[in-house]
Amino acid sequence: MGEGKDLRDSSPTVYQALRQRGVSRRDFMKFCSLMAATLALPASFAPKIAEALEKAKRPSLVWLEFQDCCGNTESFLRASNPTVVDIVLDVLSVDYHETIMAPAGKDAEKSLQDVVKNQKGKYICVVEGAIPTRDGGVYCCVGGRAAIDIAKEVCGNSLATIAMGACAWDGGIPSANPNPTGAVGVKDVISGVPIINLPGCPANVVNLTGTVVHYLTFGSLPLTDNNGAPLFGYGTRIHDACQRRAHYDAGRYVRQWGDEGHRNGWCLYYMGCKGPETYKNCPTALWNDRTSWPVGAGHNCIGCASPKFWDTMTPFYSRLASIPGFGVESTADKVGLGLAIATAAGVTAHAIARAGRKHIRHEDEEKTAKTEDK
Amino acid sequence: MPKIAIDPVTRIEGHLRVEAQVDGGQVKDAWASSTMFRGIELILKNRDPRDAWAFAQRI
Repeated sequence: MGEGKDLRDSSPTVYQALRQRGVSRRDFMKFCSLMAATLALPASFAPKIAEALEKAKRPSLVWLEFQDCCGNTESFLRASNPTVVDIVLDVLSVDYHETIMAPAGKDAEKSLQDVVKNQKGKYICVVEGAIPTRDGGVYCCVGGRAAIDIAKEVCGNSLATIAMGACAWDGGIPSANPNPTGAVGVKDVISGVPIINLPGCPANVVNLTGTVVHYLTFGSLPLTDNNGAPLFGYGTRIHDACQRRAHYDAGRYVRQWGDEGHRNGWCLYYMGCKGPETYKNCPTALWNDRTSWPVGAGHNCIGCASPKFWDTMTPFYSRLASIPGFGVESTADKVGLGLAIATAAGVTAHAIARAGRKHIRHEDEEKTAKTEDK
Repeated sequence: MPKIAIDPVTRIEGHLRVEAQVDGGQVKDAWASSTMFRGIELILKNRDPRDAWAFAQRI
């Protein structure tokens, strides 16, 4: 990279990069249609997206891994259709990603520093994993530096930071009770740059790509909800788009794994499904190259896009959410109390408002379920 | 003897640092350390055992 000069001026546009990699015009248009659908836009927007990607330069992207399990990286790379992988990797110019980059050690660090220095304020930073704050942040170090220091520098100089997955969003599993390392999400330690949160364990790559394509097409980041998550991906309740919803409405429930209801694809509500409390586009975006999703495969939703889900959505196989300390048989009132305690623990007021809203809805559904059960 | 450090080690899943003591172009001694800790074992304590797979899977 040249000193102080943005070499991306001479770099190919998204479309040129795709064509150079052998992606056909037809596949490109299919991708644009997928993006229009992901962004909850009418199909007529696909040509507008195509037009934008024909002109847009690929944004530089760095991917930081902190207290993570690499699950979001897997989600990012594991599309079974090579064309989709090509498209994603070509739309995004990934300049630093420890799991997939060739350089190691000091050379790797140089790649990151080059982007921060030469692309200041122009690159997108994706963060995967939580940031430990206890004991000076020693619980996650890269190149001898604490994660929190790296985050402040790299996120702080970015155009926008995308917190990919539950851990980067609100601390996720490392921050689950008793949070041994004082883990927090990006939003808790970074300010001054736009942060887009992509909750979920893991987040879906279409929502990451959708966020970037939205920026390239409209010149702005997507509208977000009170969790800072894009409305296009997190505005719909899983329960409302669920393929098993008709069974819920008709009172046909799975009561035991492998029973007649389970074999017939009935509603998993009584098996602990958190779909009625969770907002994410899993039923429509799907997983594994759009083949299926947990509920489609016969397992209940574990509510992974909900705030502090490792504590608020467990036990996963119990119908009522309970907070550690209250036991499996917690009542809804106790859960409400638990959420009040979570407020004191530093969960944002917005998350609580939303959790409260869900809590009320949950009670309604409980009633409905009981009525239908009779 | 000069000591070299490779951190981060890339193209792996997780965080790794390798230090090596080199003498005349030969590695005489080496140390590998994992530079990230979350305490999943501590987090798993006192939870519903049916949930353990989901926690442990995230290691």
